Amino acid sequence: MPLRFHWSLSSVGDKFRGAKARTEMSGLFDFDEQAEFSRAAEASGIESLLMALGSYRPDPMALSMALGMVTKKIKFMAAVRPGIVSPTYFVQQVNSISALTGGRISINLVTGNAPHELDYYGAFLEHDERYERADEFLAICRAFWKRDGEVNFEGKYYTIKGGRLNTPFVSDERVAPEIFLGGNSELAEQLAMKHADCLWRFADTPENLSERVPPILNRGVEVGLLVSILARPTHEQAVSDAYAMVETLKAQRTFGKDFARKTDSVSYKATLELAEKSQSDWLTPYLWTGAIPYMGSPSIALVGSAEEIAAALIEYKKIGISQFLFIGWPDLDEMTFFGREILPLVRKRELEMEGECQLAARG
Amino acid sequence: MKNEDLKFHWRLSYSGEAETTTWDRQFSVEDGAPHIEMQVDFCRKAEEAGIDSLLTDFGYGKPDPMLLAAILGQQAKKIKFILAYRSGLFAPTMFVQQLNTLSSLIDGRLSLNIVAGYSPDEQRAYGDFLSHDERYERTEEFLAICRAFWESKDSVDFQGNHYRVEKGALKARYVSPDRSFPEIFIGGGSEQANRLALSQGTCWMRLPEASEALRESVAPVVARGVEVGLRLAVIARPTREEALNTAMAMAEGVDRAREFVKTSVGHMDSVSFKASYEMGGREWLTPCLWAGAARIYGPAAIALVGSAEEVARAFIEYKRLGITQFILSGWPKLDEMVNFGRIVIPIVREMESEAAAYACSGRCEAPNASR
Repeated sequence: MPLRFHWSLSSVGDKFRGAKARTEMSGLFDFDEQAEFSRAAEASGIESLLMALGSYRPDPMALSMALGMVTKKIKFMAAVRPGIVSPTYFVQQVNSISALTGGRISINLVTGNAPHELDYYGAFLEHDERYERADEFLAICRAFWKRDGEVNFEGKYYTIKGGRLNTPFVSDERVAPEIFLGGNSELAEQLAMKHADCLWRFADTPENLSERVPPILNRGVEVGLLVSILARPTHEQAVSDAYAMVETLKAQRTFGKDFARKTDSVSYKATLELAEKSQSDWLTPYLWTGAIPYMGSPSIALVGSAEEIAAALIEYKKIGISQFLFIGWPDLDEMTFFGREILPLVRKRELEMEGECQLAARG
Repeated sequence: MKNEDLKFHWRLSYSGEAETTTWDRQFSVEDGAPHIEMQVDFCRKAEEAGIDSLLTDFGYGKPDPMLLAAILGQQAKKIKFILAYRSGLFAPTMFVQQLNTLSSLIDGRLSLNIVAGYSPDEQRAYGDFLSHDERYERTEEFLAICRAFWESKDSVDFQGNHYRVEKGALKARYVSPDRSFPEIFIGGGSEQANRLALSQGTCWMRLPEASEALRESVAPVVARGVEVGLRLAVIARPTREEALNTAMAMAEGVDRAREFVKTSVGHMDSVSFKASYEMGGREWLTPCLWAGAARIYGPAAIALVGSAEEVARAFIEYKRLGITQFILSGWPKLDEMVNFGRIVIPIVREMESEAAAYACSGRCEAPNASR
């Protein structure tokens, strides 16, 4: 299977996603700009756009719907947090979008990474309870997607009686949306193995990841990497742009540590720790942690030339990683560069690998 | 349309209903698929007909009204949408975020029709097990939080029986050329609904009764600065006879429909729907107001029946009582709406400007005042 690539839509026009303090964002967005971004993603070989959820952004469902109407191919990976929406109603919204876009919707379930943000949505549960609730939430959603009569469910967090919806999930390929789930904790892994199609991890070295990937794959769940990307025609330029960005950020704020104190997400903390413990900013010649103190864990980044990054992606593929979710700096340029320069190299290498496999099989 | 003119809204048609002339189709299981082309056409015809907003229903049988409005609103440029919504489906913060996002996609051409829910069965399917009164209490809290997000400059903190929000702040603002938050229609005939409309709504929507009976309930609401609207059906024809024939034809051979409505109403806990169904037994509340339709098409179907002139006059009479908005429906939906725009609205507007001129001439002591 060829690697699959997704991109995080910067939903408020912040071209350097994450590089701006959230308080500075307006929450208003330029729809035409986003439509253009979505079409550029289609042209760049990106499969879907992550529609993130947060109080400083517009709503991902409404936005996916609207963007779906002005695009043809791109899918929308809408973030959802259990606890702020009735599962029945959530399925109704997802199904409505699927019916209107030909199934171009998938789900990224986040149990929440920041207790303070969950509080203002009115969801007050501890880390472990959030996973327990997410488990119930997904069980109900999946029961609706089975379309096998009425849905009845009695759990600790949800009770559903006589649940039915007339609007089905509509897609040529699937009977239910693909479910992505992010997290690094034991609980996240268990939940993914039970309900999800793919587990997102923050990037780490292939060596560190290689042990933890196979058990998940063995359970029939894919593993994907959430990673930022800064690619330039040459290695030197990429590195110099990376540090130039840090200089700009330094002047602005220190986001990472402040956030780390508040988050109760295992993966956010782990990545921060990884960055702090490391002697250098480079975990491998291409995996850079230099922006983490300022932009948080999602800013762990692949930095380098097109060839270097293509090679890095293939290296991850070899240990079983099959999907990537990128954040790019700057967004649109990075995505276009990826589609034009990196993706063809990846596809070429994949073909070669297939050939090598066949040869080996024959040999 | 002038500011003081009556506002007419229409119920958006869903799958297939646009063409149907019989009740049969309506209670056959809807397929739940969106019918966008038909609905966009419906929106454009509504704009041409002089309809202000289209009501997008909420129910398990239909696509999600919020997302539907996002699409229809981008394709039709003038019409507004009244989104039916229930508390308990979303955290209020998330709801405001979604609604604000929608407002920026369609220039604020939306308002809310909040119903506390009328069918316990359907509520339970959404995971909501509260009683009628508790649902109103929760809706009160829900709207109080929503309005705090829309109207307060500070972050939102709320502690209630049903919701708790700490330091709520949203970056996505409500976008509209003329309002800082959407109009909020509160539907329901119970005491609780009335109280809720007064505390959180901008317009109390109720089902019709004969004028005299309405007068008493309307005045105190209007006095508190909240509008009153009616949910009505319309059968208007060039002559009264044609209208009556249409109505009578509808009432024939629909035993199945009567049974279906009876059973559904039996499962409801809505005070006004039950009352409306009861009124249906009296058939005609006034020479123009046919409650009998409520037994065939459901409790929201009490209909004004008559010639265009009679129907227009009935609206003007409601206006005199202080009622300012109407959410209408008819059968078949599209035809009746187009017909309404063609033959009834012009007469209403004419009567309104005459009344305005008359009121003005009274105040200004027109030349013949000394006569």
